[in-house]
Amino acid sequence: MGNKSFRQSMAWLHTWAGLVPGWLLFIIFLFGTVAFFQQEISCWMRPELKERAVSDTALRGASRLLMAKAPDADRWIVTLPSDRGGDPLTVTWKSGTGEAAMSGKAILDPASGREIAVRDTRGGWFLYRFHFELRYIPYWLAEILVCAAALAMFVAIVSGIVTHKKIFADFFMMRFGKGARSWLDVHNVTAVLALPFHLMITYTGLVTLLFTLMPWAISVQFPSRESYFQTAYPPGPERASKGEMIPPLLLDEVVERAKVLQGGVAPGRIIVEHPGDVASVIQLWPSPTRIGGTSDALYLDGSTGKAMQRPPTSGLATASRGVMIDLHAGRFSGPVLRWLYFLSGAGGTIMVASGLILWTVKRRSKLPDPARPHFGFRLVERLNISVIAGSCMGIAAYFLANRLLPLNMAHRSDWEINGLFLVWGTAFIWIVARPAKRAWVEALAACGVLYTLVPVANALSTTRGLIPSLIAQDWVFVGFDLTMLATAAACAFAAWKIATHRLQAAPERKACKLAETAT
Amino acid sequence: MTHVATFLLSLGGFVLLLLVIPRHQQDWLGRKLFPRQRRVLRLAGLAMLALAFIVAGGGLGWAYGAIVWFGWLTMAAALVVTANANRARIMRRVRP
Repeated sequence: MGNKSFRQSMAWLHTWAGLVPGWLLFIIFLFGTVAFFQQEISCWMRPELKERAVSDTALRGASRLLMAKAPDADRWIVTLPSDRGGDPLTVTWKSGTGEAAMSGKAILDPASGREIAVRDTRGGWFLYRFHFELRYIPYWLAEILVCAAALAMFVAIVSGIVTHKKIFADFFMMRFGKGARSWLDVHNVTAVLALPFHLMITYTGLVTLLFTLMPWAISVQFPSRESYFQTAYPPGPERASKGEMIPPLLLDEVVERAKVLQGGVAPGRIIVEHPGDVASVIQLWPSPTRIGGTSDALYLDGSTGKAMQRPPTSGLATASRGVMIDLHAGRFSGPVLRWLYFLSGAGGTIMVASGLILWTVKRRSKLPDPARPHFGFRLVERLNISVIAGSCMGIAAYFLANRLLPLNMAHRSDWEINGLFLVWGTAFIWIVARPAKRAWVEALAACGVLYTLVPVANALSTTRGLIPSLIAQDWVFVGFDLTMLATAAACAFAAWKIATHRLQAAPERKACKLAETAT
Repeated sequence: MTHVATFLLSLGGFVLLLLVIPRHQQDWLGRKLFPRQRRVLRLAGLAMLALAFIVAGGGLGWAYGAIVWFGWLTMAAALVVTANANRARIMRRVRP
């Protein structure tokens, strides 16, 4: 290492900081990108919910249900779907503590407010959570792994910028059919064109992991994590119940008041403490709708509906952290910006995948015996195929399981997720057993088939297939099915390209050269 | 509408910036441009990208618009790269 140039040592750093956590980074990028559409995915995965936004009728229905079922509860919790839908209107009630604790829950239709049977699924929420808490491993371990991967990503981005010799001269460069050179072009183009996005998403991703990465700022100043949160996010007004009962405010009035007081922002969650008591307090937590928007709750007096004194809002540092997390999650974005987020994220996913593939492509030609590569090479090659193609197969399987599993199955939502990993695991075993090129072709072809089957299963098992959805102008369902078909087409195209690679690449390249010299 | 304008301005800007690079001048125009022409192209391209920012910020608010601007910049540049990579095919269609 000693006498290498700065750029060479950065190239070394880029190679290994990218490769070692590369497969985890691919998973984080892929699932994170998909999660930009988590509400829309939830809409599709809960086809029982026809309407998205919550109506006043439904809120009144929720109030009536709570008053009938749990008039004496200590607390009512109402979770409202956002305008993007995907979630039902959920009411929960709780009373007592410890042994005597009682609770109940009802799922309501956001339009009618009647109780509705919705299939047991975690929807897009699981894909979102998986991109940082993983699955089947303890949360602390997932957190450490994801933190390490995110740090490595940041190192890889910065060292990659240093390593890239001609960012501006090669800005628009993309050459097909030239082996390692083409893979490098793909890697460079996806990295450079969406560089602002990659920097932003990685940095703000680190910010979301702040308390794990930088615990010392808290541990030096506060005796415990809890006391920090108490100081940073002081609790709102609390009142003991007086035992004097009055009819509680109806939820639709409460939401209306909150909208007026919060400048139009609808609450995402309403908590009523001591419902029906004169000392009742209503907390209204906003759902994030605008960048840097407030995440502080609004407190209403439960008997008069008047706004109560809020706890002091947290400082500028907390506010900047809030903006960065908003930027990362993109929940404030409208449909167009959401697609831009998604496409930039897809670029990042391709960047990570092409980097991983480039590692093998560059080394294949230098192998002493290409027919019998060494263990490290084979490991990277197999992990590439099984993580890149396998995770895509898994997501398709997750959507298929949502449509195919029996509706009254026990632990249904868990089995949807197990389905994802069973298919992925099976793909892994298959891929390890096959020659590399065949494995790529077969895995990508299988991806193509699975993604084609998703809209088919949707059309057969619900009344909301592609054609009825087109007629009903239900753009979420249309968009979902078309995205599945586009993904299937992309996988099939990639499989076809790899399958025909050796046979056609050479003459085509010659023809291209000839054409270039002719013009 | 703001989105379309932001995208088209970014696209125009990147097309001009593509033509600043001598290798691509040879490919697309069949000749190399003079340094002064290159400078004009570069300034015009950057001006269009800046204008796209103003359109996005003015139309959608500066915080939201700035994010949208970055998104459309990426898409516009990606489209220019795709066109550039398929130059032979495009040229054949335009001038068979």
